[in-house]
Amino acid sequence: MVDLDGSGGSAVRAATGSMVAYEGDVSFKNAGFGGGGGLRAALKQRVTGESLNLMEVTGRGTVHFAVGAGHVLVVDLAGEVLKAESQSLLAISHALRTDVTFTGLQGASSGQGLFTTTVSGHGQVALISLGGPPIALRVSPGTPLVVDPDAYIGAVGPLQQSFVSDVSWRNLIGESSGEAFSLRFEGQGVVYLQPEER
Amino acid sequence: MSTQPLDPQTLPDHDNLPGNAYAYCVRLTGPLFVQTGRMIAYYPSGGGTIRFEPLTATSLTSMVASHFSSPLYSRDWVVANGQGHVILGDRGYDINSYDLDDGNLTVRAANLLAFDAGLELKESIIPGFLTLLGTGRFLASSSGPVIFVEPPVRVDPEALVGWADCPAPAQHFDAGWMGHFLGAARSAVLGTRSGEERQYDFTGAGTVLLQSSERMLEDPHVVRRLEGEVRSLGVDQLTHLQGVIASQLQQQRQ
Amino acid sequence: MGFTKVTSKVVLAQLRPGAEVLARRGAMLATTGQVSFSPVSAGPGGGGYGGGIASALGRAMQGEAVPLMVAEGTGTVHYGFRGHHVTIVDLDGSEPMSVEADRLLAHDASMSSSVVFLGQQGGLRGAVRGAVTGQGLFTTQLSGRGSVALLSHGGTFAMQVGGSRQVVVDPQAYVAHTGNLRVDVSASVGWRDAVGRGSGEAVQLKVSGQGTVYVQASEEKL
Repeated sequence: MVDLDGSGGSAVRAATGSMVAYEGDVSFKNAGFGGGGGLRAALKQRVTGESLNLMEVTGRGTVHFAVGAGHVLVVDLAGEVLKAESQSLLAISHALRTDVTFTGLQGASSGQGLFTTTVSGHGQVALISLGGPPIALRVSPGTPLVVDPDAYIGAVGPLQQSFVSDVSWRNLIGESSGEAFSLRFEGQGVVYLQPEER
Repeated sequence: MSTQPLDPQTLPDHDNLPGNAYAYCVRLTGPLFVQTGRMIAYYPSGGGTIRFEPLTATSLTSMVASHFSSPLYSRDWVVANGQGHVILGDRGYDINSYDLDDGNLTVRAANLLAFDAGLELKESIIPGFLTLLGTGRFLASSSGPVIFVEPPVRVDPEALVGWADCPAPAQHFDAGWMGHFLGAARSAVLGTRSGEERQYDFTGAGTVLLQSSERMLEDPHVVRRLEGEVRSLGVDQLTHLQGVIASQLQQQRQ
Repeated sequence: MGFTKVTSKVVLAQLRPGAEVLARRGAMLATTGQVSFSPVSAGPGGGGYGGGIASALGRAMQGEAVPLMVAEGTGTVHYGFRGHHVTIVDLDGSEPMSVEADRLLAHDASMSSSVVFLGQQGGLRGAVRGAVTGQGLFTTQLSGRGSVALLSHGGTFAMQVGGSRQVVVDPQAYVAHTGNLRVDVSASVGWRDAVGRGSGEAVQLKVSGQGTVYVQASEEKL
């Protein structure tokens, strides 16, 4: 749950459908796709189907956002680049720029994980962690990290992301409907995860 | 609301992640049985790897493989081997670790996350439940924090996570409630499961573990067990069963 | 008397003669002692949460009535429902509480209940004129002194109403309210973008007056 104090003048972009309640004089406007990334980003998003429906919230009051009773992670960006699953994005400060990047082609079954939303600039990003408080894991040279793509929310820092096709920890026959790959991170940065699979 | 990043050097050896009841970290010191789909992340350490092997892998020692005596569930489990930390999660459920000291505990198969290879696993006669025996640690998940109640207690089957030390429960059908129920609208209602008509009765000395469970519309373990039983039925029984299934389907589709 | 919290998803009720509990069917997790459970018979003005008025209007409202069970005897009952979050509110009898039908887990049987329809301008008349479900909420109004256990997806938080700022709530997130409040269901163009997800109707609840609104910390319907 995020409470945002939009005290006149400051605007916030938030995922549509995430409003729970508000007090005061607040207005909502559809911010289209990407907002801030320009026409190119909007086109890319339509093509890839990676939906990032944002709305612009302005005014004076308090707005309560929520997505599926998830926990919120706020990341401060000071010139760094955050890559995130668009489904996990809740709200971003108006000044940040968003873009869609293609992170590689590797036999993904549902297309998730191929395209991620990149947020850059100065401001704050609110991410949703489903199922419990978000987990932040540091990656350093010499200590690589392998993660379940359905638990992956986002990452900050100069990291190399690769696909690992060994998914023996999953049950591919029958019940499990997860991705047919894991994500491996090397380099220097922080990877954010949620305790629940998407 | 910011989260401090965790370093692999300071991760717990066998504990929940700090401040997070929904994620658990284990540093591998030997083979660990893990239920499939429960891994969130892992740090392979020392330049090595962490392998997850199905129970049929020939590299597993016969001792490890023989500790898992449940052909019905064997394909739901893998053995983690290697060096480093493994972080586990289960559908956003609360995860707790339990110590067994020459003890026995029966737990719902869907809620058992992982256990030391030193423990023995068998199937309980109660469908959908597994029994762990011996000495060692295991991890179980629950919808919300698990609740401990001592017998005598009557429990809704969906709320049951497991039980330790006391005998397996007996089934109880609430006569008073059934009387009301059947009296009211006999034909329309017979065979419909709703409310509190079937419960489990626990007696003796021990502990019962409970949760407020999310409705699992389709428990794959139940289906698998039924499939196994169906194969041993004769023609008449199969025809009867087919009729029961057809009427259930019709009811559910309404 | 009353409920005590066991965990965020489970409450415990102590029962004895004179202190019975009404709860939705399927909410009993475990019981000790000598407790019997009986269904509450349906009928106009009684029966399921939200069901009374529907029957009175002679309309079949799918999914609006929640069947109830009464627990009586001496012992304890652990209540919970499908892993949803439970919030206990103790009422001292000075103000009634209106709770959305689906969001009521259990309450002390000593409290009296009636059904109130929060509809569009026109209220009950609007319902009779054939307002479609989804354009309003059936709530159960509980009066008297006692404990109420509310259900929500995620936790609930309380919003005080009565200051200068208007309070607007997503109907799917509305759980309950106490006090002298007017809840208007209305459509709003700006809200359409804000809600944006599958309920078909982009309506919002405008709350005014003096009191407290309980809102769930999630936009998902229960």
